Amino acid sequence: MFGRIFVYKFKEIIRNRYMVGWNFLFPIVLATVFYLGFGNMIKDDPDSFHTIEVGYVNTNQAESNFETVLDELTEETDGNEAILSLRKYGSKQEAMDAMNSDEIFGFYMEDGEEIETIVPTNGYNATVMNQIVREYENKKNVIDTIAKDHPENIQSALDMVTENLAIIKEHDFGNNTSPYVQYFFALIAMSSLFSSWISTTILEGICANMTEQGKRFECSPTSKLMAIVAGICAAMIMQAVSNAVVVIYVQKILKISFGAPLVNIIAITTLGSALGVSCGVLMGSLIKNSRLLMVVPLCFTMTCSFFSGLMWHQIRQLIESKAPILNRINPAALLVDCLYTRATYGKTAMYYQDITIMSIMIVVSLFISAILLRRRKYVSL
Amino acid sequence: MGNNVVAIDNLVKRYGEKVAVDHFSLNIEDGEILGLLGPNGSGKTTTINCLLSLLQYDKGDIKIFNKNMAPDAYDIKSQIGVVMQNVAVIETLNVYENVDFFCGLYIKDKKLRKQYVEEALEFTGLTEYKKYKPKKLSGGLLRRLNIACGIAHKPKLIIFDEPTVAVDPQSRNAILEGIKKMNRDGATIIYTSHYMEEVEELCSRVIIMDHGKNLANGTTNELKSSLMNRETIRVNLPNKSDEIISGLKEINHVYKIKEDGDDLIIKCDGGDHNLVHVLSYLTDNNIPFGHVSTELPTLNDVFLEITGKELRD
Repeated sequence: MFGRIFVYKFKEIIRNRYMVGWNFLFPIVLATVFYLGFGNMIKDDPDSFHTIEVGYVNTNQAESNFETVLDELTEETDGNEAILSLRKYGSKQEAMDAMNSDEIFGFYMEDGEEIETIVPTNGYNATVMNQIVREYENKKNVIDTIAKDHPENIQSALDMVTENLAIIKEHDFGNNTSPYVQYFFALIAMSSLFSSWISTTILEGICANMTEQGKRFECSPTSKLMAIVAGICAAMIMQAVSNAVVVIYVQKILKISFGAPLVNIIAITTLGSALGVSCGVLMGSLIKNSRLLMVVPLCFTMTCSFFSGLMWHQIRQLIESKAPILNRINPAALLVDCLYTRATYGKTAMYYQDITIMSIMIVVSLFISAILLRRRKYVSL
Repeated sequence: MGNNVVAIDNLVKRYGEKVAVDHFSLNIEDGEILGLLGPNGSGKTTTINCLLSLLQYDKGDIKIFNKNMAPDAYDIKSQIGVVMQNVAVIETLNVYENVDFFCGLYIKDKKLRKQYVEEALEFTGLTEYKKYKPKKLSGGLLRRLNIACGIAHKPKLIIFDEPTVAVDPQSRNAILEGIKKMNRDGATIIYTSHYMEEVEELCSRVIIMDHGKNLANGTTNELKSSLMNRETIRVNLPNKSDEIISGLKEINHVYKIKEDGDDLIIKCDGGDHNLVHVLSYLTDNNIPFGHVSTELPTLNDVFLEITGKELRD
């Protein structure tokens, strides 16, 4: 029974062109508008990470584990830019010429025992290149031992080095922290809160005091609570997919990096979907007027999104300095903050605080709704 | 017949100060088609909502199939079908899916449900429209879909709340025939309507309610026989005079005569051969007359006499 109701509620949602329009297409259109408006500013942001063009010269000619590590660092990870773009040269002179003609930033010289980093200047790129050598040398003994005793595990040992370097890239050298990225985070928050509208529509079809369909439903021998849970699940999945599509569109098509692994961003937006759906269930359990049930979720979504920085990215910082409590109770601001914190600073205490507050909001909304909706008889219809 | 399907005892439902249902009692036996009549705001729909345990009520007992009705009385609910006054279907699902969804709330077995859905579509003449979305259906087809959604699970008790509102005569006829067939197949039916001729054609018993009260209860013939006016005779009489009118008033059961142009309208309060007596009087006295017609009282007359002729909201 649960499965059938879930399937039919899901069909209801995906066939509702207004819902598809507002929840799927509108965020994509708005993301495109944002991209056209300030996409280049994000891509050209001096603070953001850029792949470093490096050269490599192996005078020893023997097979090198370091070369394998460098090769792996030229690959994109989780949709993020690769750390290095590698060019291999036969001699130091060739590499030097390439560096002097700005084909590469700097290069590594490996003679079998030592790895030398040759860079024209100090700075950001030089630090990254040195960090790679340090990380490799720290693990070199382990790698050599494994290569000797357990050659079948050598790839795992090399992966350990590259994984560490990927993390170093995210935490130490800065992610895509452009303030403009916050617009995309606010957009995802808005998209998540739009699901409140889906929830109210689901409730309308189940509660007798809202629609004739609801009346028909409550005349049947099917548990109302079970039907509501099935409907909520359908709404949540629909919204989670919608958010994932927006995130993938922004990152893969528009090539705007969120600065954190895609899976992590999608996980956060899925939590946001649950938050939007639970807010909608709460609205549906409090509001009985069907016209208000159309208007309130939209107004709620747009207001929360505005104060989370959808129209002006600094508004959230302004609120944080004047009335921080508003940022703690605004679901859209919480979601934006969670995404921004994860992308910029990693899994910090603030990130976990945002997740905790959002989770509490979801539980409290659903709990209050369950109390209000458990009523089986109505005073009037 | 014989088993009580519905028993409402002394039901009272108030909306604030307003009494919507006022000590209303009702018994419906197995196999009956009960017509529940009343003007707008008389309490019909409120009574039905209380019966279905959707509305809280202030006083009274409701039993269906000899069990107390409650919101979680799923065993009772599984045997009830409801055809709402307003069309209650899901716009985004097609005809088949709508019937399947609502039938599925009652029938878990997939194979049986498929069979029931197809039977319901055939019964309501919607088989060829099963891929249509409700928006594409005409008013009559939409009403039939509303019915299919309410009866697909083959309930033993079916409540029709004004199912033929805004339906063309052909569709209405099809709906009424369908209801008769369901009754023949064993369903007990509660039918509310403003169309007296429908109720007269369909219902084995009628209850007239107003201001939340049960004002009359009986078969259509019993209700008609409760009226003072039992027969109205209209005679075209160009040369009428006071003497003729006095003579006609002398006839047994004639209690009132009214002039209407060249016609006389003669009202009788009983008797089986009033027309014969009137015509005998006219021929015996060589009084020339033209067209003659007679009318028996209708349910509409009963309804208006009981509920009054003043306009309602």
